[in-house]
Amino acid sequence: MLDVHGLRKVYEGSGRRTEAVRDLTFTVEAGELVCLVGPSGCGKTTLLKCVGGLLSPTSGEVRLAGRRVDGPPPGTAFVFQEYGRSLFPWMRVGQNVELPLKQKKLSRERRRALVADALESVGLADAAGAYPWQLSGGMQQRVAIARALAYEPEVLLMDEPFAAVDAQTRADLEDLVRRLWRERGITILFVTHDIDEAVYLGERVIVLSASPTVVREQLKVDLPDGRDQVHTRVSPRFAELRTRVYEQIQAAKRGR
Amino acid sequence: MRPVLLRLAFAVALPAVLVAVWWVASAGSTNVYWPPLRTIFGAFPDVWTGERLREDVLPSVLRLTAGYTVAAVAGVALGTVIGSHRRVRAVCEPVLEFLRAVPPPVLVPVIMLFAGIGDTMKIVVIASGCVWPILLNTVEGVRAVDPVLAETARSYGIRGAARLRDVVLRSASPQIFAGLRQALSIGIILMVISEMFAASNGLGFTIVQFQRGFAIPDMWTGILLLGLLGFLLSVLFRLVERRVLGWYHGLREAGRRSP
Ligand SMILES: Nc1ncnc2c1ncn2[C@@H]1O[C@H](COP(=O)(O)OP(=O)(O)O)[C@@H](O)[C@H]1O
Ligand SMILES: [Mg+2]
Repeated sequence: MLDVHGLRKVYEGSGRRTEAVRDLTFTVEAGELVCLVGPSGCGKTTLLKCVGGLLSPTSGEVRLAGRRVDGPPPGTAFVFQEYGRSLFPWMRVGQNVELPLKQKKLSRERRRALVADALESVGLADAAGAYPWQLSGGMQQRVAIARALAYEPEVLLMDEPFAAVDAQTRADLEDLVRRLWRERGITILFVTHDIDEAVYLGERVIVLSASPTVVREQLKVDLPDGRDQVHTRVSPRFAELRTRVYEQIQAAKRGR
Repeated sequence: MRPVLLRLAFAVALPAVLVAVWWVASAGSTNVYWPPLRTIFGAFPDVWTGERLREDVLPSVLRLTAGYTVAAVAGVALGTVIGSHRRVRAVCEPVLEFLRAVPPPVLVPVIMLFAGIGDTMKIVVIASGCVWPILLNTVEGVRAVDPVLAETARSYGIRGAARLRDVVLRSASPQIFAGLRQALSIGIILMVISEMFAASNGLGFTIVQFQRGFAIPDMWTGILLLGLLGFLLSVLFRLVERRVLGWYHGLREAGRRSP
């Protein structure tokens, strides 16, 4: 489904050269939920933006369903790290979710139905008339997710979406992502710097090295499909996996 | 109910005091140029009859509206183009700063050479003075679109007219309105000045006529009317702004509550 091959990205500007990503190669199968985990500043956002067609790689390429990505592909939705700033403050929640749909040739009823369904899915059915800035951080992030869902993407790219919400909200949102993934069969590439989150959410975890970034390790998460915050997180297998990822990250930070 | 009354009382208090002070201070005045306020008030209904309002005030207001509208459309359109293209901006910016620094009344004699002394001249004068704050503020507003919002729009394929209407102009609207507000006061000033140079009707023209004819109380009523007109327009502006920028005031309020 998604093929990242030899991806390299160098930022140039005002006399400074930053090699954010050196050489990344991995694939994501259709319908898979893959977590990318790596230390802060290792180029996770850069990678995701290249995958989403928002940045063009310095070399290497990204292929989506066999087609080379050179601009935002129509079947991809992006949930940004700065969720508060990615909602249009002059539009109500319902309008925010509907705006991207206006670019698709959909009937008005179909749009309305998609918006209502997406807001329902994230538990915000009655917030459609509110402005984003009237909502809490967690609710704003739900709106951003609803907007992505209503867009009916094949691939959903999420950039540390829960980094800035409190622990309880975060647990709820993680379960929401798992549920939506299972219900809708979307391919999800989820970026995080949180090891527990990566292991809890993913079917597979890709561990990135520190900058300049390469893939350090890929790990299949063989936890049962139905996960829950209480039992999964205390299971021995979960502990093993997170220890393994943790060691890799530590080694990565030491730069080996 | 109470808060509304209280706010009204606050709003009216200072003007009432000022009028009272003027009234008392000028009550016994025998200075021809400084007539008692009572005389001015007395002259008001005689001077500003229905006919005068139609023949002098209405043309002024229409010219102001026309000039202001031209400036708003041109300012926002050009500002959007300049603000969205770095190259265009680099070329235009020095020229804009220069043109903006030229005091608009200076342009009146120049514009008279091209546009004669009719309505066109006055509309051009008003428009050419009003356009700068609108244009420069639009440029700033369009430039300052949050990069995360811009990327969001891009990733969802929001392009072209939809991007302009739903993202860029909306995002720039607080700055655009700041420019429109500055332009409004400039517009009123230029409306009067353009009529003082060469005109056969209008508020500015009438006030100058009164002054030349030594009809001093009448001249003062004209000045009062001008003040009232300015006040009315600013209230009207505020109402429109409240509607269009409701989200912006709410957002700022929310930011203050939880930074
Ligand atoms: N637009 C940019 N210009 C220059 N350098 C950048 C830019 N964006 C990110 N970087 C640099 O690239 C590296 C990776 O950044 P980023 O992808 O944001 O990492 P992460 O999301 O993993 O925290 C950092 O060193 C950062 O300073
Ligand atoms: Mg990041």
